[in-house]
Amino acid sequence: MLKKNRFLIVLALSLSVLISGCSLPGLSGPAKDTIAVGTMGTSESQIMGNMVRMMIEHYTDAKVEMVNNLGSSIVQHQAMMNGDVDITATRYTGTDLAGALGMDPVKDPEEAMKIVKREFQKRFDQTWFDSYGFANSYAFTVTKELADKENLKTVSDLERFAPNLKLGVDNAWLKRKGDGYEGFVKEYGFEFGKTFPMQIGLVYQAAANGKMDVVLAYTTDGRIKAFNLKVLEDDKHFFPPYDTSLVARNDVIKAHPKLKGVLQKLSGKISTEKMQELNYEADGKMKEPSIVAKEFLEEHHYFENEK
Amino acid sequence: MDTIKDILFYYTQNGSYVWEQFYRHFLMSAYGVLFAAIVAIPLGILIARYHKLSAWVISLANIIQTIPALAMLAVLMLVMGLGTDTVVFSLFLYSLLPIIKNTYTGIRNVDHALLESGKAMGMTKFQVLRMVEIPLAMSVIMAGLRTALVITIGIATIGTFIGAGGLGDIILRGTNVTDGTAIILAGAIPTALMAVIADFVMGWLERKLSPNKKRKGALKKNIEEQAA
Repeated sequence: MLKKNRFLIVLALSLSVLISGCSLPGLSGPAKDTIAVGTMGTSESQIMGNMVRMMIEHYTDAKVEMVNNLGSSIVQHQAMMNGDVDITATRYTGTDLAGALGMDPVKDPEEAMKIVKREFQKRFDQTWFDSYGFANSYAFTVTKELADKENLKTVSDLERFAPNLKLGVDNAWLKRKGDGYEGFVKEYGFEFGKTFPMQIGLVYQAAANGKMDVVLAYTTDGRIKAFNLKVLEDDKHFFPPYDTSLVARNDVIKAHPKLKGVLQKLSGKISTEKMQELNYEADGKMKEPSIVAKEFLEEHHYFENEK
Repeated sequence: MDTIKDILFYYTQNGSYVWEQFYRHFLMSAYGVLFAAIVAIPLGILIARYHKLSAWVISLANIIQTIPALAMLAVLMLVMGLGTDTVVFSLFLYSLLPIIKNTYTGIRNVDHALLESGKAMGMTKFQVLRMVEIPLAMSVIMAGLRTALVITIGIATIGTFIGAGGLGDIILRGTNVTDGTAIILAGAIPTALMAVIADFVMGWLERKLSPNKKRKGALKKNIEEQAA
């Protein structure tokens, strides 16, 4: 009889765990008392997400769970609105202006940042933090040798010999309205000699081995550094800004008073060049994003001495 | 050859992370099967008793089994949100069929003469169940758990799409980086290995619990005793 009772107790306990849906031992999910950090599938997003997690774990007693591989910025936004995710680690001003807010692109980075901060606070009750210090946007990129030889610093510098140059770009960009090639020609007033549409992943290699003279690359891609390429400054602010920040729900910030200060420590700490390096650690050297994040934070002592 | 070198390099760099995900992956699968066992074994016994119910219950479990895993996760995600709980619940659903079916078959296949003799000895219904039916059906039930566990280890991989982590995270990351062959394999090999090991261990348990073996052992002992 005793055995039977014990069996029933175990049964009841297990069922109640299952039904109540609270986290299972050893397997905490995004439950009520944990802070859930959402990231996208990119290395960049996961590196930053892990940094956010480790900063929170280092400074507070709160438990943090990662929710990785959210499909896009819109999915991240939806997950934040549903409450499945409390913080999203990488949000880009340009993307969310058009996506979550449905507004027209704004060319001035500071203006764009101001708008998303204000609108997210007002419309979604979420806080948009200051940028980490890097922006992941499109940029015209050349080899270092070419840049040194011709003294290239900005996109306008290309104008004088653009008709002789081969440009390698993302398939979609050539035909895109607004910030596509047509818009570029209008804004800068010159065309390249020849354009070659290709997969975005191939442009870095193409520039490095001289198949292309200029390519349109993502500014934080690790291969820019690895292949010794140089990003030219978009001096006419043709591309919308994609400054990167984290976004947190206000109720989480209220529930954990130290949180805001801790997360602000990351603001302005990672330059675009630094992000290239970190991305290359993950993509080129096969380190997991969590390990890249940990090494970076330990190297900087979790920014303990800074406000 | 380079790929193998890359995989080993990956493990030396990310060993602790891989282990963490391995453990997490296993726990998700094991919880799914455990909860399914708690529900499905009594249910299997029940439908073996009242076997008019069996057609209904088994075909319902069959229907669950036919839903594609990704669709199941997506639908459950809408109701339960992101994270491990959703994955564990869908693994629970997938484990139901093999366990119910095997429990049902195991109990139904117990020799009627044995049940009668149990009854004749004055056992209550519960005693017959506990002392005759379940021990004799045990190895078949274990086979059901074994199938369920191997299935769930495979399905848990796609839990990564709803942010549950596990070895699927490593595989998915491999598909996102430029040259991810080694990373994909670094996630896929442990998954396969886990399924093989789980199958092996459960198979061993199944043989251990098999009544035939016990009986043979007992017979041998008997003969030895008589000879002595």
